[in-house]
Amino acid sequence: MSSLNAVLSFKRDKVLAVQPSSQDISAIGKALSPVTLEIKNVEKSYQLTGERLQVLTGINLDVRAGEFISIVGASGCGKSTLLRLVAGLDAGYGGDIVYQGSRITGTDLNRGIVFQEHRLFPWLTVEANILLAFSATEIPKAEQKKRVQAQIDLVGLSGFEKAYPHQISGGMSQRVAIARALVLRPQLLLLDEPFAALDALTRLKLQQELQRLWEHEGLTTILVTHDVEEAVFLGDRVVVMESHPGRIKRILPVDLPRPRVRSTLEFQRIKDDVLTDFS
Amino acid sequence: MSIGVRVALGINQADPTFRRRSRLRLAAFISPIAFLLLWTWVTKIELFSPQLLVSPFVVLQAFHELLDSGELWEHLSISLSRLGIGFLIGASSGLLFGILMALSKRVEGFFSPVFQAVRQVPSIALIPIFILLFGIDEIFKIAIVTKAAFFTVALASYEATKGVSRNYFEVAQAYKLPTYTLYTKIVIPAILPPVLTGFRIAFSRSWTILVAAELLAADSGLGHMMQMGREVFRIDIVMVGVVLTGLIGFGIDRIFKWGEANLIPWRTA
Repeated sequence: MSSLNAVLSFKRDKVLAVQPSSQDISAIGKALSPVTLEIKNVEKSYQLTGERLQVLTGINLDVRAGEFISIVGASGCGKSTLLRLVAGLDAGYGGDIVYQGSRITGTDLNRGIVFQEHRLFPWLTVEANILLAFSATEIPKAEQKKRVQAQIDLVGLSGFEKAYPHQISGGMSQRVAIARALVLRPQLLLLDEPFAALDALTRLKLQQELQRLWEHEGLTTILVTHDVEEAVFLGDRVVVMESHPGRIKRILPVDLPRPRVRSTLEFQRIKDDVLTDFS
Repeated sequence: MSIGVRVALGINQADPTFRRRSRLRLAAFISPIAFLLLWTWVTKIELFSPQLLVSPFVVLQAFHELLDSGELWEHLSISLSRLGIGFLIGASSGLLFGILMALSKRVEGFFSPVFQAVRQVPSIALIPIFILLFGIDEIFKIAIVTKAAFFTVALASYEATKGVSRNYFEVAQAYKLPTYTLYTKIVIPAILPPVLTGFRIAFSRSWTILVAAELLAADSGLGHMMQMGREVFRIDIVMVGVVLTGLIGFGIDRIFKWGEANLIPWRTA
């Protein structure tokens, strides 16, 4: 019942927010898919030398299966904290984060995460780094090897299986990190500013690759970024956050066909719209 | 030699870094040779009485003499076995203890004050107590080596484990790594470089303290050989011991260094 309400309220929001566009078949399809992640009245605070610092307050967000959510905000708005809560890296929060019907209290192999730094282990090869993801699973070794190889091919790193992280570029390392997160076939992919440390050209290329992977795997994705263009380029919806304490300012649907072209007027209009929140 | 073979062997004489490196390697021989020349010259002009300082050639002669009689090998093998046993016990228990103390707040809270205080006491100051406790037999010498190795390695592995990036533990948490995998695939490799350096320092301390202990109280070993030499006024035998102590320490240090360079293929520098 609650999910039906959520569907209805989502549709109403959509109608009020934008005129439905004729090309927008995929977004309507997503609007009908069930809510997989519910973030309800989430609060998070830290104790800092006797003082209580409110990092997040009153966060409400429903994410549908297969949806791509971009979260933008200035640094310090708590967007990374929110993502860490969804990942289950930090179970001390108020309110509820409910994923597939149960409250998140710890990490789960069903939810993959990619951090801003690639966080590969320098003493393991590309292949071994990805294989490590299987440590807690019962999947047979041969199957693991096969999936690792397929994932390496998918992110375009064939031939670099035996390379160590210091022997490949930052962009390649981040691709390995994405492969490591995807190899377990999670249903929810969490990305914490994954391209922030890369140069502009590599970033553009990886954004396109991420879009391709997302379409290929059909997985629900939450991307935290401070790059508005990236948020609009990739997101079905853009969640704008503001600081002190961290909260959601507004949620903007991006009803543009994919792959999106940054130079179009419509793209620029949405980007400018988001940017007004930061001026 | 074909170009392919030379490339494969990493030999490229036109490469300036190769030439610089071979020149540096030559430079490493200059200081020992200069030292030997100085030593010979000082004995030649008899700056010190010949009874007190003998020339390198006399030392070499004594070395051959000791080698031929089998006496040297006897002392040396005893010293090295004491070193080996003591170092093995001390370094391995120190390694485990350091990791445990870094990862468990309870172990740290319980042992840290005693550990930090006892490690400040120089091993040589413990020799009299150890003699009283363990007697002057083998156990005392092995115990003193164990002590020297334990505290140095424990400190190195404690600090190294404390320094393992939180980011790594977060990745482990995200992938729900089993404890065994966490240790073998992440903690141990992460602390390996600083721990190997700790091993090197610990080894050098163990070796020094062993020779000192043998000088003070032993009936065999390299230190004892020197002590006997001194008592019968055979300064050449003392010098053989001094030179060998230095050379063995240097040699094993080199082995550890080689290990540092070759066990850590991921190190970029």
